[in-house]
Amino acid sequence: MSLRLPGSVASSQDLRSLIMEVHEYANWYAHESVKAQVKAKVSTSSPTLSVAALELLRDWKADQQISAESLDQLIMTLEQYASNSPSMTITLAALPTSSLKTALVNWCRVNVAPNILVSFKFNTSLLGGMVVQCGSHIFDWSFKRKILENRKIFPEVLRRV
Amino acid sequence: MYASFLQIALLGTFFLIGVVSATAGRHAYAHFRPREDEDKPHRNTQQPVRLPTEVKEHLLEAAEVKFQTIINHSSAELEYDLKTTAAKLDSRLGKLGSEIVGEEMKRYRVDLEQLRKQTEANIENAQKDINAHQADLKARIDARRAELEAAMNAEITAEKQVLINLANSKLADAVASFLIETLGHDVDLGAQTAYLTAMLEEHKAEILKGISE
Repeated sequence: MSLRLPGSVASSQDLRSLIMEVHEYANWYAHESVKAQVKAKVSTSSPTLSVAALELLRDWKADQQISAESLDQLIMTLEQYASNSPSMTITLAALPTSSLKTALVNWCRVNVAPNILVSFKFNTSLLGGMVVQCGSHIFDWSFKRKILENRKIFPEVLRRV
Repeated sequence: MYASFLQIALLGTFFLIGVVSATAGRHAYAHFRPREDEDKPHRNTQQPVRLPTEVKEHLLEAAEVKFQTIINHSSAELEYDLKTTAAKLDSRLGKLGSEIVGEEMKRYRVDLEQLRKQTEANIENAQKDINAHQADLKARIDARRAELEAAMNAEITAEKQVLINLANSKLADAVASFLIETLGHDVDLGAQTAYLTAMLEEHKAEILKGISE
């Protein structure tokens, strides 16, 4: 599987949306191909694609012409990607910006697995840091956790003030 | 003791009066009713004397007077003897009583002295026992007091430590709650990007392990 997802496609939901977009595009492409074969004069405009979908279509077999078969292969590849890729969930203290999400997803795809899917959640009680869930493992590296772990030293610190 | 001797003396006196009364009664009986066997020999051996009536009366009067005299005399003697005997008995009884009372008093004093000495010895022993018991009690009380003081000090120290720990725990909870409540607003994730990436780098091995499992 040589597919490389854009950084903005992080989670499985993003991937499902991307698959739906590609599927819709493939349907439109198939219809337009049939119309072209029968030299129909009526044609419809292509569906609006997201930046990630455009980037994916541009990168998918860039050396070949887009065809119905290649789009079907792309959809199949994406389906396999969705079903086989490892996933992890990152919970942050606030709603992450796209740049932050992209940075974290790129880091995960470079250092953990190239096909990993990352879901994001937010919980303001974390204060900062993150909680990472990989399968059945949960790693809590939040500020709240650190504060609660080190609360026993607060009286000692206050005595020194 | 003295009463018993007096009773004995009175009984002796009554006995003598009884003896004297019996003797007087026997003489009176013999006088007024002479025995027939005494008269019979006279009748058998001698002829009855026929005395004139005046002589008989004279003899009877003389005999009565003589008998009365003898009775009086005997009674006087008996009375005298009785008085003498009573005086002697009184004297003897007094002397005997005095001796007995003296001996009893002497023995009583000796017994009393022995009892006093024994009581003093008992009191002294009891005082010694009391002193020893008091010393023992005092030692036990002191030991128990020291033990209770040590236990109380240990308990106070433990309670103090518990209170300190509780206060520290409350303070830590308060500070943690304050920090969480205060820092929970306006979290700037943009400033944390580098920190988050560094955190992922730091725990890369754990993440890889979690993914592989």
